[in-house]
Amino acid sequence: MKHVFLASLIAGSIALPAYAADYTIMAPAAPGGGWDQTARSLQTAFQQEGISKNVQVMNVPGAGGTIGLAQFASQQKGKDNALIVGGYVMVGAILTNKSPVTLKDVTPIARLTGEDEAIVVPASSPIKSMADLVAALKKDPGKVSWGGGSAGGVDHIAAGLIAKASGVDPTKINYIAFSGGGEALAAILGSQVTVGISGYGEFESQVKSGTLRLLATSGEKRIPGVDAPTLKEAGVDVAVQNWRMVAAAPGLSAEQKAKVTADVQKLATSKTWQETLKTKGWQDTFLAGPAFEAQLAKDISATEGILKDIGLVK
Amino acid sequence: MSQEPLIKAEQRRPDWAALVIAAILIAIAGVIFFDAARLREVTGYSPVGPATVPHWIAIGLVLLAIWTIIAAFRGDFPEREKQEIKPVVWVIGGLAAQMLLLNTAGFSIATGILFAATAAGFGKRKIWFSLPIGIVLCLVVWLIFAGLLQLSLPAGPLERLFQ
Amino acid sequence: MSTFEFLMQGVVVAMQPMNLLYALIGVTLGTAVGVLPGIGPALTVALLLPVTYQLDPAGSLIMFAGIYYGGMYGGSTTSILLNTPGESASIVTALEGNKMARAGRGGPALATAAIGSFVAGLIATVGLAFIAPYIVKLALVFGPCEYFALMVLAFITVSSAFGDSTLRGLTSLFIGLALSLIGIDQLTGQTRLAFGVPDLLDGVEVTTLAVAMFAIGETLFIAAHGSFGPDKVEAVKGSIWMSANDWARSWKPWLRGTAIGFPIGAMPAGGAEIGTFLSYATEKRLTKHPEEFGNGAIEGVAGPEAANNASAAGTLVPLLTLGLPTTATAAIMLAGFQQYGLQPGPLLFATNPQLVWGLIASLLIANFMLLVLNLPLIGLWVRLLTIPKPWLYAGILVFATLGTIGANPSVFELGMLLAFGVMGYIMRVLGYPIAPVVVGLILGPLAEQQLRRALAISQGDFTVLFTSPIAAVLLAIAALALIVPLILRARGRGEVLSQMAANED
Repeated sequence: MKHVFLASLIAGSIALPAYAADYTIMAPAAPGGGWDQTARSLQTAFQQEGISKNVQVMNVPGAGGTIGLAQFASQQKGKDNALIVGGYVMVGAILTNKSPVTLKDVTPIARLTGEDEAIVVPASSPIKSMADLVAALKKDPGKVSWGGGSAGGVDHIAAGLIAKASGVDPTKINYIAFSGGGEALAAILGSQVTVGISGYGEFESQVKSGTLRLLATSGEKRIPGVDAPTLKEAGVDVAVQNWRMVAAAPGLSAEQKAKVTADVQKLATSKTWQETLKTKGWQDTFLAGPAFEAQLAKDISATEGILKDIGLVK
Repeated sequence: MSQEPLIKAEQRRPDWAALVIAAILIAIAGVIFFDAARLREVTGYSPVGPATVPHWIAIGLVLLAIWTIIAAFRGDFPEREKQEIKPVVWVIGGLAAQMLLLNTAGFSIATGILFAATAAGFGKRKIWFSLPIGIVLCLVVWLIFAGLLQLSLPAGPLERLFQ
Repeated sequence: MSTFEFLMQGVVVAMQPMNLLYALIGVTLGTAVGVLPGIGPALTVALLLPVTYQLDPAGSLIMFAGIYYGGMYGGSTTSILLNTPGESASIVTALEGNKMARAGRGGPALATAAIGSFVAGLIATVGLAFIAPYIVKLALVFGPCEYFALMVLAFITVSSAFGDSTLRGLTSLFIGLALSLIGIDQLTGQTRLAFGVPDLLDGVEVTTLAVAMFAIGETLFIAAHGSFGPDKVEAVKGSIWMSANDWARSWKPWLRGTAIGFPIGAMPAGGAEIGTFLSYATEKRLTKHPEEFGNGAIEGVAGPEAANNASAAGTLVPLLTLGLPTTATAAIMLAGFQQYGLQPGPLLFATNPQLVWGLIASLLIANFMLLVLNLPLIGLWVRLLTIPKPWLYAGILVFATLGTIGANPSVFELGMLLAFGVMGYIMRVLGYPIAPVVVGLILGPLAEQQLRRALAISQGDFTVLFTSPIAAVLLAIAALALIVPLILRARGRGEVLSQMAANED
């Protein structure tokens, strides 16, 4: 028994430097995904920049982040040291899952990163350009199978927007949902599907090595150093970006919100965070305050519209 | 192992436990049918939609239920060993207590109770002895896994002393 | 021959004493966390990755490899000793491994698992180094139709390999399939059988079900035997080390497990579990001691453990050559690689040979350290079983729930753990096998999704399921696996009958 007490004393003394009032970041996804990586990068940056000494990451996976969101909103109410990572996928998931807890039930703080969607075909495909793809889509939408991430996610939404802008009925697109970009990429490389749609980062190395042909990217501007038009340049009037954000608990006072925003702002401009963005290949689309809130509201209503068009939301 | 041979006469009667299982299987199938009925068939291109596979599984369950009923009347089920209920209740009670106390009492106390209850289920009924051991053991576990290895385990009053 | 030189250079770097120490620390930490039931290698690596950031690139890469292998191996220890699989890929190990441990043969079971993992890891890592580009081409040929055929094969081999009653085996499997329906349908985003409960949207977690049915169900079952329960567990009977006979029976399963696990791991939607299922079924077919299966056959531990480790190395094939993370663990590794400036993808082997070969050398060293750490520990692990039953089972439940809480700290998850634990207990009492439930939960959604994807791509043409040559071959093997045992059994029954007739004379 003595040993147990001794061990607990030793363990206790090692654990002592940790104290309360440090951030807990919830990643509403399983380890490994984009939100988990964002949360863990935030953890590292918070600690290295000395903004917060001890940061814990908590994974609550499931349902496009809505399970984690619901848990976060109910358990962390009023606490100014709790953060949750989220993004555009969550906006879609809240709508398709009819989640009772929405982004209105937390305090969105800032948008952190953004990523353009990329539309690719295998190098051997007869489709050479966006115009070819639109023509094929108009001829027989069922023959054009789209490989991308989960149903109702940003990939699906982008495919629906492209169809709609090309004058094709969005309910007629043949979208094949894969679990995660990796499986979709394999299906595209193996020519199992006609066209692939996912975040540019998923395809980057394949595009550079020439195994995939990049038809277009979905941002307002071209990606620097990438030789492909934007959708708008290619004549498809669509601009959409996948983004990730960080939100705080509901029920914060104005001071508490200001404090969290200041911390996140400090983090976003820090050297550690900027380096993380570079190594991970994430675009810096930092936006906070009222501007972010307005953008968020706009994104939510636009997403609801297209999900209705695709037929995923009534 | 004590395998009390069942009496012959008992074997000829239908096996009630098996009939209950058949009823449960049919109930599960019913729930699946009920749930599948409200799904929208939004897939345009695959003839196998979101409700098709649930239907197949539910039909399979019904067939298995029928098979189970036949087996029950034929006495095809193996004889069962005698079960003591009291230890089972101890362990289940320990698990339930842990579940309910976890977020308020914290990891160590809640899991310590589970420890003591399980030990009690296996015959160590001296709670005044096993409970403190359980709590201290779980606290050490908490310190190692939550403190050093950053696993997120709920903290209660006891854990906060070490934070 | 430059490939070989690069590899040698990497090994020399990794062999430096300091780096060996890092490998040992990594393996120890990885094992410590990976041993918790419910916490698989993915979470282990995610938790411990920051520890490696403090070191120089070579050291951190090596420690990382150690954590990875440690996390992988940790699961099989609890599977064998406590019948509590730490992750889905070591569920099969529990079937025979725990039976061996009960019979006082825990030492040989742990040893064959450790050495089998080492052998498989060694072969697969070398395979990764030399044939990755070819394997990956093969893997990409697999589309939804081929995966569907593979799932059919897995279903058939697995269901014929579990349990002694077809009715009860099938019932267990269908309960698993029914559970697998719960959650969001991936292809249309609709929820099934969740009844508005948000915690059910993502379905039943495989590890929760496995930990509940195996660890908690088993604990309840043993408790219910009370004072008239089975004799005390004999921790050691005979040698703690593998006998000559054990070696003779293990080496072929190691190699076969490696051959099955590596290519399946390399397939983007293969999954480590499926390799272990197929390996178990293969060993059961080929063994000279069929009567031992279900009672602790060493082949049933050696094969699946080798398959598990080989398929883990296999997942590195698409990861390194395509930049394609096919499992959660691989996704975390990708994040780790980026930290070391390694950008996996088709150009990696050309642009960054030092790092790639450094990584492969690190994996080899870590694999070796795992053996160094674990073989001497076997004696200690086996002693766990000499702890009096009340404390042993109390401890098992503490660690089983600890894993679940650590992976997802929610009351609902613990509630599911309890409910499935009770279900596992009742099924045990009534003589239903447990493993098919877990198998159904894993394979059900995979098979359904691939079928529907295949049919959507073909716009409803069912013939695509049979016309692809690979799918046709896999389905043919599946058909054989179904029919041959029936014929053999019929013939066997005939022999028995004729023998009985002869005896009556």
